Amino acid sequence: MSRHRLLAMFKDFDDAFDVVDKIKAKEVSGVEVDDINMMSPIEHPEVDTKLGKRPVNIAYFTLAGAIFGVTFGFFFLSSAQASFLVQPQGGKPVVPLPTNFVLMYEMLIFFAVWTTVICFIFLSGLGQKRGTLYSEKLTVDEIGIVVEIDESELDSVKNFFKNNKALEIREEKV
Amino acid sequence: MSQVIEDKVIDEKLEWSRINADVIASMQAPRKAYWITVFVCLTMFLCAIAAEIYQYKMGLGAAGLNNPHMWDMYIATFVFWIGMSHAGTLLSAILHIIHAQWRKPIYRFAEAMTTFSLMTAGFFPMIHLGRVWNLYWVLPYVSDRGIWPNFRSPLVWDAFAISTYLSSSALFLFIGMIPDMAILRDHTTGWRKKLYGILCLGWRGDDRQWRNFRRTYMLLACFLIPLAISVHSIVSSDFAMSIMPGWHVTTFPPYFVAGALYSGCAAIMTLFVCLRYFFRMEEYMTLNIMEKTTKLTFAIAMVWTYLNLIEFSATWYGHNIYDKEVLIAKATGPYAGVFWTMIFCGMVVPFTLCFQKLRRHMPTMFVISILLNLGMYVERWMIVAPTLAQAHSPHQWDVLWGSVIQWAIVFGSFGWFGLLFLVFVKLFPCVSMYEVKELCFHLKHEIHEEELAKKHAATKAAGKAEEGSGGRAPGTPGLEGA
Amino acid sequence: MSFKNILENFSYYRRDAEDGGHHEYDHRFGMTIDLDICTGCNSCSTACYAENNLAVVGKERFEKGQAMHWMRVERYWDNIEGDYAEEGAKFLPMLCQNCGAATCEPVCPVAATYHTPDGLNAQVYNRCIGSRYCSNNCPFRVRYFNFWSYYEDSWPEPLNMQLNPDLSVRDKGVMEKCTFCIQRIRTAKDKAQREERVMADGDVVTACAQACPTGAIVFGDTMDPDSRVSKLWEKHQVHRGPFLQKKDKTNEEIRGYRIFDELNVDPSILYLERVRDTEV
Repeated sequence: MSRHRLLAMFKDFDDAFDVVDKIKAKEVSGVEVDDINMMSPIEHPEVDTKLGKRPVNIAYFTLAGAIFGVTFGFFFLSSAQASFLVQPQGGKPVVPLPTNFVLMYEMLIFFAVWTTVICFIFLSGLGQKRGTLYSEKLTVDEIGIVVEIDESELDSVKNFFKNNKALEIREEKV
Repeated sequence: MSQVIEDKVIDEKLEWSRINADVIASMQAPRKAYWITVFVCLTMFLCAIAAEIYQYKMGLGAAGLNNPHMWDMYIATFVFWIGMSHAGTLLSAILHIIHAQWRKPIYRFAEAMTTFSLMTAGFFPMIHLGRVWNLYWVLPYVSDRGIWPNFRSPLVWDAFAISTYLSSSALFLFIGMIPDMAILRDHTTGWRKKLYGILCLGWRGDDRQWRNFRRTYMLLACFLIPLAISVHSIVSSDFAMSIMPGWHVTTFPPYFVAGALYSGCAAIMTLFVCLRYFFRMEEYMTLNIMEKTTKLTFAIAMVWTYLNLIEFSATWYGHNIYDKEVLIAKATGPYAGVFWTMIFCGMVVPFTLCFQKLRRHMPTMFVISILLNLGMYVERWMIVAPTLAQAHSPHQWDVLWGSVIQWAIVFGSFGWFGLLFLVFVKLFPCVSMYEVKELCFHLKHEIHEEELAKKHAATKAAGKAEEGSGGRAPGTPGLEGA
Repeated sequence: MSFKNILENFSYYRRDAEDGGHHEYDHRFGMTIDLDICTGCNSCSTACYAENNLAVVGKERFEKGQAMHWMRVERYWDNIEGDYAEEGAKFLPMLCQNCGAATCEPVCPVAATYHTPDGLNAQVYNRCIGSRYCSNNCPFRVRYFNFWSYYEDSWPEPLNMQLNPDLSVRDKGVMEKCTFCIQRIRTAKDKAQREERVMADGDVVTACAQACPTGAIVFGDTMDPDSRVSKLWEKHQVHRGPFLQKKDKTNEEIRGYRIFDELNVDPSILYLERVRDTEV
């Protein structure tokens, strides 16, 4: 039994949300609300409430990057200073803390920002191939709903979308 | 009409497909003035290149520097460009965090301005080095001789701060552009399609991407605000960490940050007027947005004025003989004309922003924003030069106006910045399409809600029975005209 | 392992000038310049040019302020108006003060200027990248920058034969300044080591001190209590270290002061005030 992927396009968020509500209410079999993947040209804050809580873990990586940046900063700087004893200058100590704090601060932000961005690319699945179902209208004004279903339910789900104001339906075999 | 509708920053009825079409068209066929500006910028830049080649060969004497004036216009220009870079990212990030919707049509070019003015600023510490070819010695790399840079030096802090800021703000700009790159990938052809196809990293706009995107963007904004403030504080440490009269000032970090925001806002105004004209963006860069920007500029101008006066009075009542003499010399000495230009442009001209008629008149705003930036440029020069002209040792007092070479490089930097910026706005959308769509979407909601509330009130006033809750009606306006 | 190094010696690395500093000084070279016997003849400056390969920049560049005189004689007048304006000049030989807490040192981005165990403020030409922050942060303005490739026309043939082989000729883009004739200090140290003795007072004489016809400049080790310099410092009640005003003001014999002492940079040069009977 093969799996199929369906992309249904809708005119606006309201139509799409109606469909999501109906799926939640189990009006069609074979599709769970957690399987829904919603594609939209803009970010809509209600998407999250409709689709249920889905995890966003970027902030943990940011925190890890920040902590790494600040500790690495301190040990990097002070070990460099402690092994470079030509540094006694202007009556200042070899490891001047105020200076190192300034640079640790910069390194904190540097590492935090880079880890955030790199993790964003991985966590949001950018650059990963996940099906070819796509419509160029998604970057204009239409909303797409992608679901993955068994072959047996293909027709019923298609009909369900059609009856719920879907403008266009595309499908592919997984 | 209500508050929301009156300050509408954009016409919410703009069709989404039109937003795409308008912005893409803007990238393809700008007005003639665009090409003229590109040509002027290129000429200026080439002059600077020639001057720099000469200076590189001859040494820094070519710049006309001398013993007391070891730094001059180069450092002033460096601070100017760093300052200009602040408004873009900082304002974009702050306005994002406080959910100021009106930032959306203008933040893209403001962030581009940040990145490019940083790239311009980054050149000046190099240009002004005596031995540019050894520049990399400032970086903390592991050397086989066990030599490190001197981490105590504010110049090394600069190197750290600028590289952090440049990479972070470029990433911020890039991340914010990814959904737009996807739009362009879908709606352009030829080499552009290929370019945007790579740059959008396979953006499809699914909910997982948007969710992560929103979080990432917010996190970056949260990091960029303290970063931007720290960067300009560190630039101010170049002066504040020294013991020179007029430089060794405790209020320098906030003063520099305020000055940076000020000149950055003024630069946003200038570019706003230019882009609005070049790319026929009248519908997106509306007068209401301009008005909000000018109000912000005015507020920051007043902060800067206050900090400036604080600095003067602290020096005056501090009775440090060296500091006081430098201050008096600024106002009455050979640099007095320049000093009073700064006071006029920086403290008096912003008051014109109080008049709504002027705020809504684009040519006037162009002139005023240029004047403000002139004031801010001169301010930086008035930090660097008078102190060196009249520092502790009276034997080494001297007044310097810089040589042709120096002026050519300074002017050329404007050409370089203009060139980078103009190429950017031709290659990438200067208005964020997806966010303008969001703006329209939310505005529609707000207006709808307000109308509902009004209807509600009307029915109440008529003494009719209240029915239902005041919450959102189920039939929120959809996205008509798809 | 540097990580171990930090943990073990952290408190040592945190010592600053107030705690005696990181350095265990071998010497602290210093100078005394008696302004009372200085005649402003400029022979110190000339000697310095000859000893240290200082570039002769020419009239035009001198006027622009691009001269390289490590040792310069500054002139000041009490009254610049009146009948005898040209008379009564005061002279102040000004050279690098080799400050104990030098402001030029911490601002150098590449650590090209640092403090040696001899108490000297050293400048490493090879390391200098020419950011010129050191000069900007020097209240005495005694750091000189190679704005041009001076060597190209400074010593036309056969003058290049008189260059001192003990030290380099600097090209454009580096900062330089008075080193207290470090090449002479080096030589004297080596000599003392060969002869297996400690350096004595008088082993090192800087070019300016050697050339001064009136003997106004005295050079020596301020850490050696028997040196001439230390005795002068002692006599005029000036001490190394932070600025402390504990002087016997009633005694007219005490004329010692350090320039810009209130900036707390701990200069190594003691100036002795000029005394004139103004009635004459």
